[in-house]
Amino acid sequence: MTTLPTDPAETVAAPALTAAGEEPAHPPSRPPGSTGKRPLRTTAWYATALFVCAVMIVPLLWMITIGLKSRNAVFELPPRLLPHEFSWRNFIDGPQAIHFPRLLLNSTIITALSVLGGVMTAMMAGYALARLRFPGRKLWFYLFVGSMLLPGVVGLIPLFQLYKSIGWYDTWLPLIVPAFFGGNPLFIFLARQYFLAIPYSIDEAAKIDGAGHLRIFVSVMLPLTRPAWITMAILAFQASWNDFLNPLVYLYSADKWPLSVGMAQFVSPFAGQTPNWSYYMATNLLYMLPPLILFFAAQRYFIQGLGSLGSTTQK
Amino acid sequence: MSRNAGSDVRAGYLFIAPAIIGFTVFVAYPLVRSFYLALTKYNGLTDPVFVGLANFRRLFTVDPAFWPSLRATGYLVVLYVPLSLAIGLALAMFCNQRFAGVRIVRTLAYLPVVLPAVATITLWKFILDPQVGLLNTVLEKLHLPTSTWLQSPTMSMPSIVLVMLWGVGGTMIIFLAALQAVPTELYEAARVDGAGPYAVFFRITMPMISPIMLLQVILQTTAALQTFNQPKILTGGGPGFSTNVLMLSIYNNGFSNLGRIPQLGYASAQVWVLFILIIAVIALTAKFSSLWTYSDNTPD
Repeated sequence: MTTLPTDPAETVAAPALTAAGEEPAHPPSRPPGSTGKRPLRTTAWYATALFVCAVMIVPLLWMITIGLKSRNAVFELPPRLLPHEFSWRNFIDGPQAIHFPRLLLNSTIITALSVLGGVMTAMMAGYALARLRFPGRKLWFYLFVGSMLLPGVVGLIPLFQLYKSIGWYDTWLPLIVPAFFGGNPLFIFLARQYFLAIPYSIDEAAKIDGAGHLRIFVSVMLPLTRPAWITMAILAFQASWNDFLNPLVYLYSADKWPLSVGMAQFVSPFAGQTPNWSYYMATNLLYMLPPLILFFAAQRYFIQGLGSLGSTTQK
Repeated sequence: MSRNAGSDVRAGYLFIAPAIIGFTVFVAYPLVRSFYLALTKYNGLTDPVFVGLANFRRLFTVDPAFWPSLRATGYLVVLYVPLSLAIGLALAMFCNQRFAGVRIVRTLAYLPVVLPAVATITLWKFILDPQVGLLNTVLEKLHLPTSTWLQSPTMSMPSIVLVMLWGVGGTMIIFLAALQAVPTELYEAARVDGAGPYAVFFRITMPMISPIMLLQVILQTTAALQTFNQPKILTGGGPGFSTNVLMLSIYNNGFSNLGRIPQLGYASAQVWVLFILIIAVIALTAKFSSLWTYSDNTPD
């Protein structure tokens, strides 16, 4: 550990800038058993890979089979891994049992608005912090970055009190409005990193052509920073769609709940009742579907966005 | 770089205004306010009444649930954080190799992270069911000992940690990015020098990713200290107080609608205990980081 040939600060920061538009760098290590000398090692390798995959996928497959079993078949002893008859109706009756369409609409509205607000205001702040000179810019940057480490729970009770006093309790506003005020400091940080990587000659050219800051931001910067705001939009979608604590605290009326709270109520055992697991699993699958589709559609952004996050935080 | 100073200042503040307002209203104000509320008796309906340190005195000397909840929180952190880091790093190193299907492994390992917490936690609630759950079924088939998992006072917290560890892909992906940023030449040089896998790991990999390791220790610990969803959905804090972590206790004191009067001042005092724990973790980790992190770069 005496001397390392390269400066890690430089080499580590580099992928953050290149990660934007291309595939992640090739893994450095040799393929296992690439020379064919060690068949045993290759077998062990694939056994591990198989095990990891199984641990991740089997619970989900199990969920699907339960969603397809009849209510009684779920409690058969010993449990069968596969249903012997398929109850497709679970996918209709299950969602109906918790007014799924209503909850879906609620979740959609809350999520769409918080994604829009969160991404827009973070991009604006990132642009200002990276490319405009104004007094106090460094101070605000450090305050935003510092607030990333501040645990959310500290704000929970005073914000609850604040929202209640201005009549926002039991409305969607506490779940949406903060997003429109740069709600996620991580996004501001990410946006700033991306904006710093864009050559200044680009906006100088635009300025010479007479464009104002708003014009530069919308027509020059937003197209150039597409990977950044797509990553943020995905993360914001996930955060809002998956959020459980905040809607649980701020929403009292069942008809305003998003899916997360509705789904949790589905299985909370009241009056000693056993939840209808086959209904639940069928509905759960529908609840998981949007993030699942998004994940597979935008996989490279997930990996890249978080990858570049990992390396930019070292700067 | 812009020389157009006047327009920069105006535009700068215009663009950053929402974030500044947000920081003031949603971060700075609540921070100050929550400290004040911790010193009050406040039920959410009538005005808070200043009571000094009475809430803290009650926490540490009277409340029978407080020490158990601190212990449960500590147990969760001590069990979850090292496991999550070790498994996450091992998985990242595994997925950093080149072999057919590595992308599938990577994708599947990350998959649980993108799924909604409520959805995966309730799924695990059923998997951990002692009678008809998948886990006991599989263990029985393999002639391994089974357990009542969430219903057992000794296994309830390990079960919760098990559920949390299913999301280890989140840790993995960050480590993977860090591993991919390690310059290939270092490994080549080590190979030429005839270094074995252990030397490579402890003398190249670990030093090179130590800044990310530090960050992960801080983030994972602060996140684990704030665990809420799993105990709330899986056990409700039971059996006994075995999984009644601080966050759950805060929620139950401040917000639960079980017909009890909300005790927001008292819950705020608990929030501050949690907050101080988090600050302590960050401070300690940062203080001792120079012992085990390799760093050439001075922070700017």
